[in-house]
Amino acid sequence: MHLRISLVLALSWTHAALAQQPAAPAGDAKAAHKKVQMCEGCHGIPGYRTAYPDVYSVPKLGGQQAAYLMKAMQAYKSGERSHPSMRGIANGLTDQDMADIAAYYGAAK
Amino acid sequence: MTARAIWVAAAVSLAFAHGAMAAGKAEAGKAKAAQVCAACHGADGAKPSAPDQPILAGQYYDYLVKALADYKSGKRNNPIMKGFAASLSAQDMEDLAAWFSSQKSSLHFQR
Repeated sequence: MHLRISLVLALSWTHAALAQQPAAPAGDAKAAHKKVQMCEGCHGIPGYRTAYPDVYSVPKLGGQQAAYLMKAMQAYKSGERSHPSMRGIANGLTDQDMADIAAYYGAAK
Repeated sequence: MTARAIWVAAAVSLAFAHGAMAAGKAEAGKAKAAQVCAACHGADGAKPSAPDQPILAGQYYDYLVKALADYKSGKRNNPIMKGFAASLSAQDMEDLAAWFSSQKSSLHFQR
């Protein structure tokens, strides 16, 4: 019985932990205006493509889910995602910067 | 315009059209998406089931192909997507990209 209750508690705790995003500061889209200048060099040019040898369109960010944008920037910083330019840029971003940038693009409808 | 210039212009515009156009078949991608992607990203890729999962509808075709290929190869290191991408052929990836890139969502080019 105790085991069952513990299991239920453990599962519900895990579920709650999974459902929550990694603690992220609230994003401020207005504060992002100066921070997105470095994004615009590639993402701000319609149809812009990455440099040789892997040539493909840089993704559209406007209207994307803010939590996903946040996760993407964190993944570049951690090395989970490997694009060299994005790794360099994400390395210089704080969690607050990322949240602001995510709010800026995510809020754009 | 000389005949040669016309030929060059035609070749360039053809090459450009080829690069921009989807090689995948959207209808085949739709069927595949219903089996593999829809539970998390939505059938048309516009309504993900969680906030940290991306909207795919309206994303660039070649970016989607690249993302799937990178998940499969492990270059993009996400265990969940690696599992799904592992089951996809190159043709599947092009079909899925053709489907999602041609769907509508809030996603748009934003300066």
